[in-house]
Amino acid sequence: MRSKRFEALEARPIKKDGFVKEWPEVGLIAMNSDLDPKPSIKVVDGKIVEMDGKNRDDFDMLDQFIADHAIHIEDAEEAMAIPSIDIANKLVDIHVPRKDIIKITTAVTPAKMTEVLGYMSVLEMMMAQNKMRARLMPSNQCHVTNVKDNMVQIAADAAEAAIRGFDEQETTVGIARYAPFNALGIMVGANCGRPGILTQCSVEEATELDMGMRGFTAYAETISVYGTEQVFMDGDDTPYSKAFLASAYASRGLKMRFTSGSGSEVQMGYAEGHSMLYLEARCLYVTRGAGVQGTQNGSVSCVGVPAAVPGGIREILAENLLAACLDLECASSNDQTFTHSDLRRVARSLMQMVPGTDYICSGYSSTPNYDNMFAGSNWDAHDYDDWNVIQRDLRIDAGLQPITEDALVEARAKAARAIQGLFKGMGLPEITDEEVEAATYADGSKDMPDRDVVADLKAIEDMMNKGVTAVDFIKALDKEGFHDVAQSIFNIQYIKCAGDYLHTASKLSSDWEVISAVNYKNDYHGVGTGYQISEERWNQIADLPWADDPETI
Amino acid sequence: MTQEQMLEQIVKQVMASMSSGTGAAAPADGDVKVTDADYPLGEKRPELITSATGIPLKELTLEKVLDGTLKAEDLRINPKTLELQAQVADSVGRDAFGINLRRAAELIAVPDARVLEIYNALRPYRSTKEELEAIADELETKYSAKVCAQLVREAAYIGYKRKRTKEFK
Repeated sequence: MRSKRFEALEARPIKKDGFVKEWPEVGLIAMNSDLDPKPSIKVVDGKIVEMDGKNRDDFDMLDQFIADHAIHIEDAEEAMAIPSIDIANKLVDIHVPRKDIIKITTAVTPAKMTEVLGYMSVLEMMMAQNKMRARLMPSNQCHVTNVKDNMVQIAADAAEAAIRGFDEQETTVGIARYAPFNALGIMVGANCGRPGILTQCSVEEATELDMGMRGFTAYAETISVYGTEQVFMDGDDTPYSKAFLASAYASRGLKMRFTSGSGSEVQMGYAEGHSMLYLEARCLYVTRGAGVQGTQNGSVSCVGVPAAVPGGIREILAENLLAACLDLECASSNDQTFTHSDLRRVARSLMQMVPGTDYICSGYSSTPNYDNMFAGSNWDAHDYDDWNVIQRDLRIDAGLQPITEDALVEARAKAARAIQGLFKGMGLPEITDEEVEAATYADGSKDMPDRDVVADLKAIEDMMNKGVTAVDFIKALDKEGFHDVAQSIFNIQYIKCAGDYLHTASKLSSDWEVISAVNYKNDYHGVGTGYQISEERWNQIADLPWADDPETI
Repeated sequence: MTQEQMLEQIVKQVMASMSSGTGAAAPADGDVKVTDADYPLGEKRPELITSATGIPLKELTLEKVLDGTLKAEDLRINPKTLELQAQVADSVGRDAFGINLRRAAELIAVPDARVLEIYNALRPYRSTKEELEAIADELETKYSAKVCAQLVREAAYIGYKRKRTKEFK
């Protein structure tokens, strides 16, 4: 006979999630693995000749790159001599400022930082994350995609996401050749919502760089790095090729960050018997060594792997904290869906929402999940009110704010009309008034009429062959009467030319001020310090449009 | 960038340096040092910044784009700007980031297509050790890209040692 209690529990969403017991030998262990290397360093004549138990002669490409580029060698022996538990304590201690810790954490090895984090509970790590985040104030990033690659809907969703608070927005494609239209949709739409939104289009690396150089995008983040040499090879890159690519982006005035995350190595079968955190530490040291300003990390698209093992969600927080400890901007994942349980997906995100990271989600789906082309997100457009209420309940700033239906309709309509104008001005296939109206009131692509895909793709090919750039978009928008939008697209080019936004953890205000970890450093040093929610900001968060007014009761 | 555009750029840079040569705040090569106190440079020190083609930052306006005075290449970043931003990075202890910006400054002179080719050549098993060393020489002699050349030489050394170059395909 079956227990009715057990039958009820078996029907719960959490029972559809996958779990696995630890298997350290193949890397199925989150952190605290006995098989991870023991921290060590030996410096001779200003060169690291031994790192984490390996002699320089035995270094693989990652070891070599990390030893030569990622560690402050002059401080290394002193920093390595500090007991790991002391460094862990400094991370939590409000009396030790961020800059003092950075001096230590950028002078130690990957195995040392893995050991340091291994001592810490999630609560201690959240305290540390609050202090170690590079930028003073947290922010948030979203995905804007749909299954039809409909650029009018992308523009409208991007505009709505902008007024809801996302400072960075990312699109991608169903059909690869649609990339330029999707990139235009998100850039124009987002900047209709509020001026100064940074946008990107995640596609194959050479195409992504090309679109960036022409002004279709403002930044890039899907430049992947991995924790073992073999997986790097399978990803068809080396730390050196990726470092060169990083410089290529900056040389064209484009902000960029690398991407890495635990679970990718074990998923690809080459974890070399190391824990997920140790391998992610290697990724982050490569990122730092390449001189990239930041990372998108926190398992990201391999989240199912750490989430399946004990302590996996703690490990994801440890990864994000480690990025901050290496003085990197951290866009802390909270994107790909990993659970059927609503309880579990909130618990996972609180690790970053409460302390705040530079970008709490590196992909909150601004559409219903069926339109998310990044394999679904932990948060989507139907969760907007839940996110807002959680912020209000906890009095935290996780980047968003509630909006009214009127504001939503106004922003979406403007974006849809602007992309319609841009297409007209550039002689691209018509966007009809029917499409503009559908995008204005749509929830998802099921509400959108179909476009002539063949005609769109032909037009894209012609447009790209003509070598169009941001100058053409600006002129077309102005010609069709969207002077303010033309001004915004121009301002993005101006910002790129000045180069300030290349710096760590940048975002732009609606007045086009560059806000980064250079002019807005995180100066947390105890209760009431660091980022504080202003009265104006608190009112934005607290005033739910649907809350009852006591005076009317 | 075509050769024609490159020439145009050089001419504009020379013209710009002539016209601003007597100004007190003119950007003198190697003289001006900036820190995080000058940041954002575009706001606080715009006089130090010109576009890749030598046009002062403040003269980049929407109106000039609309009337055709400014072209796409006039909106590109100048290597000197990246050097200044690298100094800002140094001033806040971000040395590796500063080096990346200096490599980037060097790569501005390298045409888009060649940049992508070199990137591809650095990927696993694409080039022999000798081919990578030739690229390093090209970067150093043709484009004065010393920091980039150093990175490529390191890649050639460790790539060959780890049997990840074309010889071992």
